[in-house]
Amino acid sequence: MKREIFESPLGESYVKAVCSSGLTVYVMEKPLYNSAFAIFGTKYGSIDNCFCVNDGEPTRVPDGIAHYLEHKLFESEDGDAFSRFARTGASANAFTSFDRTCYLFNCTDKVYENLEILLDFVTHPYFTEETVLKEQGIIGQEIKMYDDSPSWRVTFNMLEKMYYNHPVRIDIAGTVESIARINADLLYKCYNTFYNPVNMFVCVVGNVDTETVLSMCEKNIKPKEQIEIHRVFEEEPESVKDNYVEQKLSVSLPMFCLGFKQRIATPYRRLKSKICVALLLEIICGECSPLYERLMNEGLINDEFSFEYFNGYNYACTMFSGESENPQAVTDAIKEEIKNIRENGIDKKLFSAIKCGMYGDLVRRYNSVQEICMQFAESAVFGYDLFDEMKVLKAVTCDDVYKRLDVFEDELSVLSVINPAE
Amino acid sequence: MAVDLTVLSNGAEGIFIKNSRFKTTLVTFNFYLPLNREKVAAFALLPFVLTTCSKKYPDFRRLNTKLSKLYGAELSASAEKLGDYQLLKMSISVIGDKYTLDNEQLTAEAISLLSELIFEPNTQNGEFSENDLKREKRKAIEHIKSEFAEKRLYSKKRLIEEMYKDSPYGIAKCGDIEDVEKITGKSLYNAWEEMLKTAHIRVNVVSDSLPAGLFDSLNARLSSLNRADVTDIMKTEGTKPAAKTNRVTENEQLKQGKLCMGFTFEKSGGGLDTADMLVCSDIFGGGPYSKLFTNVREKMSLCYYCAARSVRIKGLLTVESGIEKQNAEKAEKAILLELENLKSGQISDAEFNSSILALTDSLKVYYDSVNALEGWYASRISDNQLFSPEEFAESIKRVKKEDVVNAAKGIKLHTVFRLLPKEEQ
Repeated sequence: MKREIFESPLGESYVKAVCSSGLTVYVMEKPLYNSAFAIFGTKYGSIDNCFCVNDGEPTRVPDGIAHYLEHKLFESEDGDAFSRFARTGASANAFTSFDRTCYLFNCTDKVYENLEILLDFVTHPYFTEETVLKEQGIIGQEIKMYDDSPSWRVTFNMLEKMYYNHPVRIDIAGTVESIARINADLLYKCYNTFYNPVNMFVCVVGNVDTETVLSMCEKNIKPKEQIEIHRVFEEEPESVKDNYVEQKLSVSLPMFCLGFKQRIATPYRRLKSKICVALLLEIICGECSPLYERLMNEGLINDEFSFEYFNGYNYACTMFSGESENPQAVTDAIKEEIKNIRENGIDKKLFSAIKCGMYGDLVRRYNSVQEICMQFAESAVFGYDLFDEMKVLKAVTCDDVYKRLDVFEDELSVLSVINPAE
Repeated sequence: MAVDLTVLSNGAEGIFIKNSRFKTTLVTFNFYLPLNREKVAAFALLPFVLTTCSKKYPDFRRLNTKLSKLYGAELSASAEKLGDYQLLKMSISVIGDKYTLDNEQLTAEAISLLSELIFEPNTQNGEFSENDLKREKRKAIEHIKSEFAEKRLYSKKRLIEEMYKDSPYGIAKCGDIEDVEKITGKSLYNAWEEMLKTAHIRVNVVSDSLPAGLFDSLNARLSSLNRADVTDIMKTEGTKPAAKTNRVTENEQLKQGKLCMGFTFEKSGGGLDTADMLVCSDIFGGGPYSKLFTNVREKMSLCYYCAARSVRIKGLLTVESGIEKQNAEKAEKAILLELENLKSGQISDAEFNSSILALTDSLKVYYDSVNALEGWYASRISDNQLFSPEEFAESIKRVKKEDVVNAAKGIKLHTVFRLLPKEEQ
């Protein structure tokens, strides 16, 4: 087993190991904690709807299949994984996002028994045509629930207008129509491709012993045929489909999501770029910025206002969301402030205060075993190490951040609005 | 796990919750006041106004920049409902001095900042400034309105309103829009004075060590206030069963409907002796091993979510679910059938053991979360002893199946609230 030890100035350390099956394992011991948090994940999410294995022909699968598979993996021939965890007292869950599917548990007792269950049920799929069909009802209801959710719709409406072809524009759970095409064969096909240990990771944080976790992963996860997975994406134009979209739903105040599509030349963003854009967003309209204060005092935003750098394989955009009587005025003000910063530079004092605040936020993250575990999953998907963030942040300069203003181009912006239904 | 209680003055106490695993210190001021329809909105607005500015930091940009320089110290505010009381919280969380880049002394500074915000607000001539008031009132009104957009929250809120029409617990935790609109700079100032003088105050500190002088300086501030008629926090009433089930249905433009049911327990309270009620509601509809999850959701596919929660201090049990319109009646019947099964003692060993294990496990997890731990000690109001999550876990382990059945037998349906999709035009 190949292994590396990483240490941070805060006193934490972790081991990253690669098992003979190709599985990557991260373990951080937190002996003062009562609990342990574990994730078994695969780099497979809703955007992986077309792929080839090795040099084979591309396979296109129905939208929402990664999420469907997540639901089905909880079942086995003799009961579901929930009932196995129920016997140990652990609290278990799973989620599917654009680029990953994660199965997780949190417990204070019998951690190795729980880990054994986790490693077992994720590697033992069991479904028949009948059990697959049964799930359509539950997932169909889940999809409908999201259709009624204004905060979900406002984001996806924006992404649908921002992207022509990239599957990030499609709802993670798919549609009632697309999931109707899912069958056991297709599920096995996706499973056998993406649930290969070389494409997977295990993260364990908390009151655990590293050696025990590593030897369990080595013993329980058998190697599969070494494969190379190629994601297939249609060409994505640099432009956006439309600059504006609106829908009416049951909301009291209009909701908005303003996105700026970024021109990208490579599939993934570098960590330094991500940190610089995150700082830049704070400088433009974070709580210390002049713009935030103005928008708040003018009654244009409230505490729901937020922003993020949304990025993953072959997609990247900045997003500003919130509730406002006048989403267009907020949009204009954000664009104006970006222009202003472009012309006059970044306020150095503001930059250093924000950088200091972000450093504190990174320290704070180490309070929670869950948060650390989720960050391991993030670093597994993107391929950097957990403590790199602090190192990179410390070295970032005001100039580095200024250069990232290139992520904002007015003609690549999309404003999505949810207006109140009559 | 050691907890030290320091009685500060009349109706005020400090609780030091020692915990060495975190990289932060959390200090929370909890103010408890009786829920009162006339005053609820002004009280609820206070934590938000107080944590956006002060005499020293008259605008929130300056305040936020200061927080950022304190390594992103987090200031938070909330107004909650706890039994028949309103709980106003204001807190600051700051990273330990040893984690700063240049060994800066943040903790003392952060705590005095929070104190200044609460005790030295930005007021003039006995009034809060018009500008701050206007902004925070608008935000409060928008927040109340946005609850309407979240149908899950809205349905739950409507259920509680229907169940407690004439009692304090039915009051919305931040008041209604009309109440917020009526607040003036002067009335808010009066509310602030009343809060300081009459609220029961509990200051919780979750940290490796108790910051020096914290409780002494607090005592000095409180003793100058002439506190009198301080709120007694032990008087929450249980819920009386309904003579006849109250049924309310509303229709809206939606794809999915919501079904919310409210039940009463025979007893209520906040002590260690309510463990049976918690286990009962958990087996009914708590975790994925519960009757509602395994049968109504998984086997019958009647709802995407279907969960029971208990508010033991009020003797209240609620069930919330998301349903298709055509399944509304079927789901209600299925939920009631599971309750009948519980009453008649149909509890498998697996259901019972899973529930005990999951509940005790989740109580141990409290010690790993700063906010959960603080919240635990802020919520222990109706019982004279400040028992720990671990002690409550011990009580749960002592619960027997027959205790659960007995608790279930006392459960009565009170109100059914349904939010259903309108007919297609």
